[in-house]
Amino acid sequence: MDKIARIDMGAAGGPKVTVGDLGEYAGLGGRAMTSLMVAAEVHPLAHPLGAENKLVISPGMLSGTTGSMTGRLSVGCKSPLTGTIKESNAGGQAAQVLARLGYAAVVLEGKPEGDDLYKIVINKDGIQVIVDNSLKLMDNYPLVAKLREEYGDKVAYMTIGSAGERKLLAASIACTDPELRPTRHCGRGGVGAVMGAKRVKAIILDDAGMKMRPPKDPEKYRDANRKFVEGLRKHPVTGEGLPAYGTNVLTNVLNEAGGYPAYNFKSGQFAESANLSGETQAALEIQRGGSATHGCHRGCVIQCSGIYNDKDGNYVTKQPEYETVWSHGGHCGISNLDTVAKLDYMDDNIGVDTIEMGVTIGVAMDAGLAEFGDDAAAIRLMEEVEKGTPLGRVLGSGAAITGKVFGVERVPVVKDQALPAYDPRAVQGIGVTYATTTQGADHTAGYAIATNILKVGGDVDPLKTEGQIELSRNLQIATAAIDSTGMCLFIAFAIMDQPETFQALLDMLGSFHGITMTGDDVVALGKKVLSAERDFNTRAGFTKHHDRLPRFFYNEPIAPHNQTFMMKDEELDEVFNW
Amino acid sequence: MKNKRKTNLILNMDHDRLGDFFPLLQKGVTVEAHVGCSLELLLSHQWQIPAEYAAQRITTIFLNSRPIDSLATAIINEDAVIALSGAMPGLVGATMRRGGYYAAMREGITHHATAGNGVDRNATVRVKLFNLLLPELGPGFLQRGIIIPAGELSRFFNGKSEYFWQGCRSALLDNFPILPHLLSREDLFPDQSTVRLSVNFPSPDKQDKCVNDFTNS
Ligand code: SF4
Repeated sequence: MDKIARIDMGAAGGPKVTVGDLGEYAGLGGRAMTSLMVAAEVHPLAHPLGAENKLVISPGMLSGTTGSMTGRLSVGCKSPLTGTIKESNAGGQAAQVLARLGYAAVVLEGKPEGDDLYKIVINKDGIQVIVDNSLKLMDNYPLVAKLREEYGDKVAYMTIGSAGERKLLAASIACTDPELRPTRHCGRGGVGAVMGAKRVKAIILDDAGMKMRPPKDPEKYRDANRKFVEGLRKHPVTGEGLPAYGTNVLTNVLNEAGGYPAYNFKSGQFAESANLSGETQAALEIQRGGSATHGCHRGCVIQCSGIYNDKDGNYVTKQPEYETVWSHGGHCGISNLDTVAKLDYMDDNIGVDTIEMGVTIGVAMDAGLAEFGDDAAAIRLMEEVEKGTPLGRVLGSGAAITGKVFGVERVPVVKDQALPAYDPRAVQGIGVTYATTTQGADHTAGYAIATNILKVGGDVDPLKTEGQIELSRNLQIATAAIDSTGMCLFIAFAIMDQPETFQALLDMLGSFHGITMTGDDVVALGKKVLSAERDFNTRAGFTKHHDRLPRFFYNEPIAPHNQTFMMKDEELDEVFNW
Repeated sequence: MKNKRKTNLILNMDHDRLGDFFPLLQKGVTVEAHVGCSLELLLSHQWQIPAEYAAQRITTIFLNSRPIDSLATAIINEDAVIALSGAMPGLVGATMRRGGYYAAMREGITHHATAGNGVDRNATVRVKLFNLLLPELGPGFLQRGIIIPAGELSRFFNGKSEYFWQGCRSALLDNFPILPHLLSREDLFPDQSTVRLSVNFPSPDKQDKCVNDFTNS
């Protein structure tokens, strides 16, 4: 990964490719690369769908190596959904292939005149940008099937569906999984709309003839990776819970805690939640000849995903994740896993974020466009998005826009991005992160990373309420760092609980790059990324007053705990005070 | 429930039909218990779950929808709802963990020590099992017996496939043998009655095996 490719889609005479060295971005990957580049190079007041915005695609620092769990791909830009800086990441094969091709980043710049549609082919011989109008308005599954006829099965595809082409604000970028299904999405923030605005429909990544990236110290790297994998395998979350049930194992627990927002955040519990649980889902998948254990990219040892078949054993979609099962399920009063799976397929096919779309349909139900619990109506609303009708374009632009168009008061968004599946009135600490993250409401912005081992910001007494601000701050710093490595966030538990597994991760990073890496270095990287993101947002016009939850969280107590969000504004303002 | 007629039903099932009972167990089942004691005593003495297993496997526990941090100070009252879970992923999974590093993040709903209602007697509580604990603790609860409204049990049996019934080796209804297939008849149990259902899995008792494997390791 010693080069950066810049593709000026608006260059006179047609798209122009320039490949250069890393310069000031040397040593960066993933979120560190995307955020530092966007902060430095994109005008903060740029229109997100205009020529001034850039779409930065970057594999993680360890992607393309023999290391396990290293396949996350980051995509960054100014978000058309939130107006803030955005980093959205996904699994799939793209990061590994792009890294082996030697690119630390591929940057889409400018904007072409006219309405030609392009595909970009990146292989060992270089980069080609090709007009292909036959791909117009194709959705992801048929699109990838068509591309496979031309480019085969030994490549990775990044694509946008019709939603991205229509520049809908919930549009995602799909990355294919090992079976070449477009199931892994950089979902949040409308990154697919930015790719669509640049008229790029597909990126074909072909690493034929390329080798694994070699570590500086191969023996130490191999040894560290072995210890890292051992740590993941022996931990009950990464070695047992996630492989058996996936992330949807959270449904029962969140519902029990009263933190499962149902009926557009009107209740903290959903009576039918057991029908949607990861336990029920895994049993159904196995019974129907699918699978409850599947990796989204080669080299994943946790394998939190799965294959969801219909009752006749035919493939429907990949195993929907917890947030998807919630957004299309309990949030909309729907308790049928087959309905959720169909909606998940439609999201992936059209190319929209499953959280944003599910939350939007719940808001639409609150507006009276459908009844809560009406499965067929939810599917009909998604079909509007698929067809690109005026109503579909409103819905595909997310919960905030839909709420405004239909006059809904209870719209669960922060900085116009839909809240994920955890009610901040029950779990106040996560509300702090929702409110203050640089990305708009995002559950992964502050993940359960090893802040206790890192001791970011010193020791915190976890049983004191006052500790929540520090916890959220530390989590956000640590997450920003992990997002830069290309590691899947689900490694968090093993590195949090097992110091030797965290050390193995540091040794992987150190031995690969030929440096000694400490916890302090990780903290410094995380702070650098977050500071750049905050600075961009400030220049884009965001103030502390945007770091708030919608008022209904402060005014409407939620059952069963009858609690409101109680964090004071002054406390929220302390999160980034370092 | 106390004044209703109670029917006793005992099933002897093949072990590979255990999963059919998971939907009941995750929704929650009523079991008899001696209340007025701490959750620690309930788990260790009444449900015979070794302390080491409880400490390392049952990492998340809810009492009446409130996550608990201390087994010793949580007092069980009649009709308490107790949910037991293995380790959870994600930040929120971590916050729910018993005595976990991120417990502060859910302080507002945390269960704090209660005095209990002081009555020390036999009653019923509701127990829910989640995720990894379903195959590990499920057989023990089923064997000791669960109390279930007749209507709910009828609905449960009605949805069962032929494969399920093939795995039912024998059934005793109030101590009389009954053909297992007849259990799906809707008129079998009196309306409004409750059934005390015990299920034995003669092939290796998964709970004992799992719990013993864990304790011996
Ligand atoms: S743990 Fe899940 S999300 Fe992470 S790399 Fe593996 S399959 Fe993908």
